[in-house]
Amino acid sequence: MTELIERADTADVPAAESSMQQAINRALRDLLAEDPNTLVFGEDVGKLGGVFRVTDGLQKEFGSQRVFDTPLAESAIMGMAVGLAMNGWRPIPELQFDGFAYPAIDQIVNQMARMNYRTRGATPMPITLRLPSFGGIQAPEHHGESLEALFAHVPGLKVVAPSDPAQAYTLLLQSVRSDDPVVYMEPKARYWDRRATTFEEPSDPVGTSRVVRPGRHATLIAWGAMVHRCLQVAELAAEDGVELEVVDLRWLKPIDTAGLAESVRGTRRAVVVHEAPLTAGLGAEVATLITENCFRDLAAPVQRVTGFDVPYPAGPLESQYLPTIDRVLLAVQRTLEY
Amino acid sequence: MADMVKDTFTLPDLGEGLVEATVLEWQVTVGDTIERNAPLVEVETTKSAVVIPSPRTGRVVELHAAEEEVVPVGAPLVTFAITPEESSGAGIVGTVPQEERPTRRVRLTPPPE
Repeated sequence: MTELIERADTADVPAAESSMQQAINRALRDLLAEDPNTLVFGEDVGKLGGVFRVTDGLQKEFGSQRVFDTPLAESAIMGMAVGLAMNGWRPIPELQFDGFAYPAIDQIVNQMARMNYRTRGATPMPITLRLPSFGGIQAPEHHGESLEALFAHVPGLKVVAPSDPAQAYTLLLQSVRSDDPVVYMEPKARYWDRRATTFEEPSDPVGTSRVVRPGRHATLIAWGAMVHRCLQVAELAAEDGVELEVVDLRWLKPIDTAGLAESVRGTRRAVVVHEAPLTAGLGAEVATLITENCFRDLAAPVQRVTGFDVPYPAGPLESQYLPTIDRVLLAVQRTLEY
Repeated sequence: MADMVKDTFTLPDLGEGLVEATVLEWQVTVGDTIERNAPLVEVETTKSAVVIPSPRTGRVVELHAAEEEVVPVGAPLVTFAITPEESSGAGIVGTVPQEERPTRRVRLTPPPE
């Protein structure tokens, strides 16, 4: 049952423009207001308001006991989150950039993900790790990584990546209210994506995808910033008379197998698009799930369009690493010709 | 426009060990609004004349060098008034992506009905 929370400025007002930064900021504000056990902490999230302005104003509003800066020590940030969760708090730590999650991998994998399992369900870990993720801003090394396959592989973690401001708001509410640890991957390239946004309470269950554009010739499957890329591709494909369906996977663990199967049974062709390197990327998991569930429906093998098996290149080369419109179109054409 | 932020752009290192450049011609005047990557100023080094594109979208509030003046690398060239979003907040690493019109070379052939 969904609990209705009265918020004067969110009920039945026309959609206002919001960026993804602002949507996440608003979600954090609403979460801090609704539950006194929520805590927001990380490097520069307090006084500065975050390097991407995502936590702007929160310390001023909720005080430095609930929104606070930490030392530059990712293992300490996540270790502290685990300890706080064990003592009844609902921590929302931020690791400033995806590449800085590696120093905290022991706390994330060995502690946060396993604590509840280890104690036979006696110690839930209601932690939401906010992780500015993926590329697209031509950042230097360590500031652009796609870690979804790594985290999805860890038993005990849920993984989610929003694609637009409205999704960012709703999925963050859902993640923080979950009693399981969630890795919430914020697509840096879409932080400035500004559009008319309604802020809605979560209604879809955890682990559901959504169709963002219906079509009948092939399904494009993506998450995070690549949803926008796939929508661009679908728009161009329509000029050629090819109607592409675009599925925003949203939850990267658990994956919406039923939703994927429903779409692919209609289109008979599927192309997975992600930024992460090809080998052992999440595209392989998605392709397998589709093959296992839709083998007889498929008109062509599932295609993958991904980054290459190298680190994200710095600077202007990055745009050649990320799946380009033409690479996605070529993969679509391969499925159409098969 | 109370929330505009001032941002000063210095003469960038134009490469090849050159340490200064002469301002040949400003492509903007104070008060102009300029788009990111639009021509900003033509400068001449001992090597060649180059047009420097604007690093920002914003309003030009001050030009720090007159035409024919020699400017050392790293010295202020121009000050913009920009929105906080264009300034992209404190300490961002990388650049704010610019929304460009999607282009393509690959054409599709629909499958037979």
